[in-house]
Amino acid sequence: MVVRTSQRPGPRLTLIFRSEFPNGKRPELAAATGTYEIKNEHGEVINTSTGLSNKKLLMWSFLGSDVMFFGSFIATYLVYRNRSLVGPYPGDILDIPITSVSTFVLLMSSLAMVLALSYIQQGRQKMGTFWIFSVVVLGAIFLLFQVYEFNHFGQVGLTPRTNLFGTTFFILTGLHGAHVTLGVLWLIFLGFGSIKGSLRADNAIDLEIAGLYWHFVDIVWIVIFTVIYLISARDVGPPG
Amino acid sequence: MSNFWNKLLYHDGRGWWDLPRTQWQDPNPQMEGPFGHGIAPIKRTWEIITAANYHHGTPWFYVLIGAILSIITIVEVWAFTWETLGGLLIPLMLVLSLAKFILVVGFFMHLKFDRKYYAWIFTACMIIGIGIFVALLLLLEYGNQTQQ
Repeated sequence: MVVRTSQRPGPRLTLIFRSEFPNGKRPELAAATGTYEIKNEHGEVINTSTGLSNKKLLMWSFLGSDVMFFGSFIATYLVYRNRSLVGPYPGDILDIPITSVSTFVLLMSSLAMVLALSYIQQGRQKMGTFWIFSVVVLGAIFLLFQVYEFNHFGQVGLTPRTNLFGTTFFILTGLHGAHVTLGVLWLIFLGFGSIKGSLRADNAIDLEIAGLYWHFVDIVWIVIFTVIYLISARDVGPPG
Repeated sequence: MSNFWNKLLYHDGRGWWDLPRTQWQDPNPQMEGPFGHGIAPIKRTWEIITAANYHHGTPWFYVLIGAILSIITIVEVWAFTWETLGGLLIPLMLVLSLAKFILVVGFFMHLKFDRKYYAWIFTACMIIGIGIFVALLLLLEYGNQTQQ
């Protein structure tokens, strides 16, 4: 077995050759036929002809499609902004201080997520588990804020059928909330996997792709918070 | 990409910038550029801060990014309470939001440290997403004008 580590700047790839290009096969062909293993800096085997992790590639592609998905809904919100004929209008009911706190909670959950990944990659299992469950708790707190907000809006008369603001607001924030819920459930599974020892440094890629998803949910909220809450919070009805 | 910036910002005295040589003691210094010697320490400091020489940032580096994100959020909410901002509110909010977006995508999602291929996928989809966004807004504007 021959071990070679690339010296190029950037992610370090370690190639473990089971033999030196047998039968004159080119490296990429040898990788496809399992003749050697490509490991990244965390020891994860990336046996692909591209040298990229298929899981991570899939997640980035999915996130790319989700950008278009949320982009359409945010654009729809802006298209119908200030076009509600009846109240309540954003300026009547949006509560910026409370939403600022929930935004802060989601930002901190992203920090907890990246710390969890960092510790799991370093092999510090207990710290990693602690931070994974911190993300779960912070995500659940964010969802509680959203449940409170939806409930409050319902009590003051804003439902998805009330006006255009209600329709676009509930669809956009509701879909985001669904993404957060899915992320929380995913991380609960990973948290228990970490406790059981099935999530380790050598397969930390599973946590990394969950982290990519979680951070994406965070950046979508960054845009929603700015567009719906901060920019639209003074809207009080259609102009004229 | 780094080669591109190196070519753009620095030259070795024979490059296509063809700048006058101001350092007569050292007529052909390394890292000479349009900003003189000032850019090199800034670039070095930036690389230390962003841990560009490592595969990932350290936990404290991520805490620093989290603190910056929190400060930006506080500034956003603080600016929102300013009645005097008027028409500047929306551009300011968009800039601050963009800063948060870049910090999360670049550092928390590791695009700064990871293979460029992932960045290309995400950027391509962002461009398509923004295209959809702009197309929807333009369609509405066109619809409004034809109604009037």
